[in-house]
Amino acid sequence: MIEVNHLTKRFDVITAVDDISFYIPAGEIVGFLGPNGAGKTTTLRMLVGYLQPSFGTIRISEQDINTDPIGLARQIGYLPEQNPLYDDMTVYDYLQFIAELRHMDEQTFTERLEFVLDKCGLRDVIGQPIQTLSKGYKQRTGLAQAILHDPQVLILDEPTSGLDPNQILEIRELIKELGKAKTVILSSHIMQEVQAVCDRIIIINKGKIIADEPKEELGKNLSGSVSLTIELEAENPDFSAWLELHPEVELKECVPKEGHWKMEFSYPAELDLQRDLAQFIASQKWLILSMYKQQHSLEEIFHLLTTESDTDELDKSETEEADNSPTATQVEEPEEKEEDDNA
Amino acid sequence: MRDALIIARKELKSYLSSVSTYIVFVIFLMLSGWFFSNLMFKSGKAELRQLFDVLHLVYLFFIPALTMGMIAKEKADQTFELLATMPIKLKSIVWGKWLAAVELLVIILMFTLVHLLTIMIFGENLDYGSIFCGYLGLVFVGAVYCAIGIFASALQSNQILAFIIALVICLFFYAIQFLMPLFPNALANVFQYLSMDYHLENFLKGIIDTRDIIYMGSLVIGFMLLAEFSLRMNNRLQER
Repeated sequence: MIEVNHLTKRFDVITAVDDISFYIPAGEIVGFLGPNGAGKTTTLRMLVGYLQPSFGTIRISEQDINTDPIGLARQIGYLPEQNPLYDDMTVYDYLQFIAELRHMDEQTFTERLEFVLDKCGLRDVIGQPIQTLSKGYKQRTGLAQAILHDPQVLILDEPTSGLDPNQILEIRELIKELGKAKTVILSSHIMQEVQAVCDRIIIINKGKIIADEPKEELGKNLSGSVSLTIELEAENPDFSAWLELHPEVELKECVPKEGHWKMEFSYPAELDLQRDLAQFIASQKWLILSMYKQQHSLEEIFHLLTTESDTDELDKSETEEADNSPTATQVEEPEEKEEDDNA
Repeated sequence: MRDALIIARKELKSYLSSVSTYIVFVIFLMLSGWFFSNLMFKSGKAELRQLFDVLHLVYLFFIPALTMGMIAKEKADQTFELLATMPIKLKSIVWGKWLAAVELLVIILMFTLVHLLTIMIFGENLDYGSIFCGYLGLVFVGAVYCAIGIFASALQSNQILAFIIALVICLFFYAIQFLMPLFPNALANVFQYLSMDYHLENFLKGIIDTRDIIYMGSLVIGFMLLAEFSLRMNNRLQER
């Protein structure tokens, strides 16, 4: 459905998107995740044809986006990061204007309007000027605009920004529902959102893809370890016997604390050692006060990945530059000149 | 074409429902009315020549003020991204905006018909043909200035800057007539041809000459192409 190859975007000296490639089949909900300034918006803008890539190709529906941009624009629903609303128009006028630009006939418009008003909960404010709406209603109006023409591909740049928790839940449900039949790409810097909605997560940082996996896989591969914290009452606990039995377990912390001990173990996520450990402690006649298991959340993974790659990248770029700087500059120079007058 | 009309209709509607448009209208009419009554009673002739000359001068400020927001505001509000990703050609956007500006111009020119009414009541032997040609010429000149205004508005996202750029370019075409004596004879013809006033003069005399229409038409098309080009460059839009 959407095929991106070696996509690169440079703004003068900054490389906003750096050689990314991915493929999104039809009917998948993909989340673009990354810290601010990671290149999410730039990527999405290139997908909808608002920005011209410096390098690389984008194919949507088996077709290069340059062959028929207008025809392609009909298939895409796009909600930009800065919600594009005309403040002086009413919600109805706005949606009607969009329908006209998309050449919808009267009947389809009436039908779709009903659908959109229901789904986005805009029925109460239909006659209000957009400037009088709250941020949440504005965001919903923007979303209504994007789905009005029943697009095959839906591209949403931070769709839930500015919404209250209830509204966020509603919008997430809506996106999930739409995603059953359509391809949805949404960007966000909020972890839970992507976690709640998407089938697949692409994490980008500094213009590069650092992870591209189905949601479940991402957690598994990266979280890697579980940490188990126990507090116990014992004279002088000695776990060396148990640790010998389980070489993959690591004792991370062991501190005395007001007459009892606090210990932290870390082991691979696929093992289930809680019961085993509890039995061992019981056999030693120690008393467990508390025990809890902690798995790395996506949030931690995200933090880990994005900060880790910072240092990685520094090393890499240094060596890369040293290695192939002559060829690299030769290839890049003409490209950059073309892009000189940056908006 | 259909898309341009949709854009133009929307633009016209939002301009006509905004207070600032009416403020600009009122200033325009006050200036032209004041100049008209002053000049008419001095010359004592039943014609609109002076009014047309005054309107041409007022255009220099009125049209840039009218067009400055047309694209610059869309860019500042980020709504341009919406228009640019709709299934319409970039050309339709700029021409739609231009059409809306010209329509607004025609609307305001209608208000100046009240001056015509004045001289119809108090004057005799009016040359309706030349008055009609004069209005036609004014619409053509206005259309050129609108194209300049749209171009200036497309350059960046600051409305005030758009106003100033448009004013400077319009002033160039307007003021050439006063600079004529400074040019060497060999170049005089070229600069005379470039002067807006020279072409408007023909209309005011009651002559509709294809040369004048070609001059104005090519300026409109030229500036509209520049506007489209600058949008394409600034946003690096795909060919559409």
